[in-house]
Amino acid sequence: MRITCPHCGARDAQEFSYLGDANPKRPDGLDATEAAMHDYVYQRDNPAGRHRELWYHGAGCHAWLVVTRDTRSHAIEAVEVASTVRSGAAA
Amino acid sequence: MADAATPANWTPRGAWAGILQDGHLGVAGTPGVRIAARDGLGIASLIAPGTGAAALTAAVKARFGLDLPTKPAISHSATHAAVWAGPGQWLLLAENRDGFDDALQAVVGLGAVAEQSSGRAVLRLSGPKAREALAKGCMLDLHPAAFPVGMAALTSIGHIGVHLWRAEDGPEGAVFEMMVARSMAGSFWSWLSGAVAEFGCQVVATEGSTGRG
Ligand SMILES: [Zn+2]
Repeated sequence: MRITCPHCGARDAQEFSYLGDANPKRPDGLDATEAAMHDYVYQRDNPAGRHRELWYHGAGCHAWLVVTRDTRSHAIEAVEVASTVRSGAAA
Repeated sequence: MADAATPANWTPRGAWAGILQDGHLGVAGTPGVRIAARDGLGIASLIAPGTGAAALTAAVKARFGLDLPTKPAISHSATHAAVWAGPGQWLLLAENRDGFDDALQAVVGLGAVAEQSSGRAVLRLSGPKAREALAKGCMLDLHPAAFPVGMAALTSIGHIGVHLWRAEDGPEGAVFEMMVARSMAGSFWSWLSGAVAEFGCQVVATEGSTGRG
């Protein structure tokens, strides 16, 4: 699998580290209920299809990226720089 | 802590000292690859993400006459160069390390500025088979159509982080300069020396060496 980093160009997936779902937004630590924090930490969808996920270009530009990938085919629809994607924004 | 085993005089040592040796490596005959240590460079990392980049860019232009690249590339003056090292990150290179600390004062306070001269190991790779040798471990397409003169990249070769850029062409074609963390120099050489052996390789360990680490 190759990921086209917006900074570096197309690179082999081994240059990147996978973090996980890009959508969960951390509840405010002081105001969050235990249930909301539990959901944030543990609850993940496991879609067969389109998935927005965080990847880190550790062997390249050291940027965090939001990759929109089809989990069935590995086809990548979009790669965005995470710092420009509003935290927790829906796809 | 001083003890009997501590040498009385510390001697600076180039990053490739004890690793590269002058001579011919691999298959005999006209070398397909030439490798030269690039000792004695002044190297500093500059980091100023976001809006901070403007002031840093202006200061580097004023002091060094260099444009900080906004894409993976290297810009040159007669004495210095600036290499893109990620968004909002650059390496400032000086051909001569003498006076580099003083020159760096022009950018101190405009970002995270860290002297790296002794922390990195740089070498130059040329010769008609240079690209073929690199292709054994480098995942980038280094064909001139995809990687022109002045382009730079951060990548991984043999699980070692490598910063490379294409310098001006030499008499035998493309010239690549490659930089690794000094602590990885021995491991990187283990890969590179194996990759070039089938082409025959001339090694110059002492070119431009000031003997300084
Ligand atoms: Zn990148």
